[in-house]
Amino acid sequence: MISSHIIRPLILSAALSSLGGMACAAPVKIALIETLSGPQASTGNTYRDAARYEVDRLNAEGGWNGEPIKLLEYDNQGTPSGAADKLKTAIADGAQLVIQGASSAIAGQLSEDIRKYDIRNPGKELLFVNVGAEAMDLTGAKCHFHSFRFISNAQVKIKALVAAMKAANVLGTRVYSINQNYSWGADVQQAIEDNAANGGYEVVGKTLHDVNKIQDFSPYVAKIAATHPDTVITGNWSNDLLLLMKAARSGGLKVRFATTYMDQPGNLANAGSVALGAYVVHPFDAEAGGKKSEAFSEAFKAKVGHYPVFVEPQTVFAVKMVGAALKQVKPENGKLNVNKLALAIEQTKVETPMGEWSMRAADHQVLLPLVVSVVSKDAKFKVDGTDMGFRPVKLLTADEAATPAQKTCKMKRPS
Amino acid sequence: MVKTRRFLLLAAIFGLVLVPVLLSQSLVNAAIQMLIASLFACAFSLLCGQGGMLSFGHAAYFGVGAFATVHAMNAFNGAGLLPTPFLPLVGAAMGLVVGLLAGWFATKRSGVYFAMITLALAELLYALAPHLKGWFGGEAGVSSMRMPAFGLSFGSNTEVYYLTLIWVLVSLGLLYLFTLTPLGRLTLGLRENARRLSFLGYNVHRVSVLVFAISAMFSGIAGSLQALNMEAANYVIFDLQGSAEVLLNSFIGGVTIFLGPVLGAALMTFFGYLVSDMTHSWLLYKGLLFVVVMLFMPRGIAGLVQSVAASGRRQGFTRLAPSMALYAVASLLLTAGTVYLVELLQRFFSQDYRSLAVLNGKGWPPIALFGAQWDPTAVLTWALPVLALIAGVAVLRLAHSRWIFVVENGECVQAPLAFDSVAPKGGQP
Repeated sequence: MISSHIIRPLILSAALSSLGGMACAAPVKIALIETLSGPQASTGNTYRDAARYEVDRLNAEGGWNGEPIKLLEYDNQGTPSGAADKLKTAIADGAQLVIQGASSAIAGQLSEDIRKYDIRNPGKELLFVNVGAEAMDLTGAKCHFHSFRFISNAQVKIKALVAAMKAANVLGTRVYSINQNYSWGADVQQAIEDNAANGGYEVVGKTLHDVNKIQDFSPYVAKIAATHPDTVITGNWSNDLLLLMKAARSGGLKVRFATTYMDQPGNLANAGSVALGAYVVHPFDAEAGGKKSEAFSEAFKAKVGHYPVFVEPQTVFAVKMVGAALKQVKPENGKLNVNKLALAIEQTKVETPMGEWSMRAADHQVLLPLVVSVVSKDAKFKVDGTDMGFRPVKLLTADEAATPAQKTCKMKRPS
Repeated sequence: MVKTRRFLLLAAIFGLVLVPVLLSQSLVNAAIQMLIASLFACAFSLLCGQGGMLSFGHAAYFGVGAFATVHAMNAFNGAGLLPTPFLPLVGAAMGLVVGLLAGWFATKRSGVYFAMITLALAELLYALAPHLKGWFGGEAGVSSMRMPAFGLSFGSNTEVYYLTLIWVLVSLGLLYLFTLTPLGRLTLGLRENARRLSFLGYNVHRVSVLVFAISAMFSGIAGSLQALNMEAANYVIFDLQGSAEVLLNSFIGGVTIFLGPVLGAALMTFFGYLVSDMTHSWLLYKGLLFVVVMLFMPRGIAGLVQSVAASGRRQGFTRLAPSMALYAVASLLLTAGTVYLVELLQRFFSQDYRSLAVLNGKGWPPIALFGAQWDPTAVLTWALPVLALIAGVAVLRLAHSRWIFVVENGECVQAPLAFDSVAPKGGQP
């Protein structure tokens, strides 16, 4: 028999803790599972800074249910398995929402893990807030009710890029597609082909090349030059983008570059004058929204120390949307019902400095306005300490940028 | 000696069985990771520590096992011939087959060339995997779900833990038994003098391929268990990082001692679990640890434990206790000084801090560390860790000279040879 001096305190503490649970509500905990160490840490840190900024702002507005929202930070060590581990820790710590963005591989793992966890633990569901992973699968074959994507995807981005450049009469009729040979690059190439009719161009050539392995792009540039394109559209990022553009310049190739990641921090400083005249499609431009976006930029800078760039604005707007949805959900026994929050997010519309954001219920893909800008010395906000910046060419509303939901998405909704 | 060893082993297994009862869910998950890493490291060091073949691409066989398992999970749905608990057999089979193939090529050469071939084979897989979307699932990976079997749902961490534990213990047992077989003895021969082996009439290439394949097979089981735990596999698993990690783990633990890699992998995995959320410099600490172990304990942590135990038996633990205590104090001081300095520097150079300094407009604000505010312009802030480091080195030297003094001047408490000749019956090179 177990002596009563062990049993009694146990019962007492159990009773007390249940009382405590009734008296004060559990705060909503959001787990940020991002790459915070190692070579990819700089990207992970941008997501973290932006999430911190917006959670602080939401808490200044009163948090949720009278309690501040807690942002827990976990280092996924840059691998899907690391992320899976940290997700388990986050669940044990009581997190109900998970934010991540830096990698589609990690997002795929987290999204699937959350789907399985939710099936096995009805009543204790988690929600995945994807703020940056753009692989088509995540709102396609792998879509599910508890996963939301708060960023565009290849189809949306290329459609906006093509539409804006065509309207500005800078697209031309011959387009070359060069991309990195993995899911993102393949998605972009597909999108470039799909938009040919809309954009009134012909795809004169396409290339998929190794990711982050090529030091000399001149053979590719020669191949591009041979097809005499007006515009080269590329989804390349980081070094693959810069080296490609530098090789094009030194090879004497006179083409327009249309990109998706030219606004990555450091790119303009690294590329120098090669970047001038390149087009980019992105979710935010400080000039494009007039006074509103400038005010947001200044407010962000006052807290974080620099203007919002790259993935920061989208992260802020995503958390803002989650915060707006939280306000619609009333606590049940002091706790957040995640299913109700998911339904609320589907109904939520928030006003961002760029225009209205809303969530499509069919595949949980956010509908967001996009800006197409050109790298120019006339830009009001200079980037990376250079004399260049992004001058907006066209701001597309969420409706104009949207592409239809993928047919592969078959979402089971809670009955 | 044999009795104490057996007792320690049984106690360790008993402790492992109790883990889910005693520890929190998140620690149980860390324990699963530690078990998997241990098995992987042990399989790796069969090749590297015992066979003397340094493989730079062992993540390939781990990953192959993981992908085979995920596909088997999806194909069989955990029913029929292959219920969930038997899934690691698929990983083992796949690891063995791929190991035979890769091993046949790799073991054509030895030394650096062997290492380069294994590296190339692994990189080949890593470069190929993202393009074969049907097999490796592209960027999003392949995912699956553990299906219930034998009345167990396999939905909870605890059930996965026991499944992993059984597989790891059985595999480690088999790996140990392998060292006792004639082929196991030949493996040591490969490391010590392969030429002599061939003069004795053995087909060295065939033996090497077999050892390679067996090592790959157990790596495949480890990968399988990882896939079962994560219910998914992603081509990132083939990354060089995985191959490097198992190498570091094995060497830190002690690659030539049978349970050394197990110790190293368990410790380093737990270190990652514990420290990675505390500080973002944890990779640096891991690297420092590796350097320190390689410099001062060439036979790894297990080697250190062995030699301390041997000295203790010879000189008597009570006589060595004071210098051991001094060693402990010295390592505490050195660790404290290093951690303090690294954390201070990391915070000082971080982007957050710099932007804070700019926003303030009033020079360098104090840095919050270990529950106190440190002014970066004050002398004391920097003098403290430096003093700790100097004191650490001083105590270390004192401990070392005391240890030497005791070992050289003490008469033996027990005759060591009588014991040592009974204890290792083989297995340990």
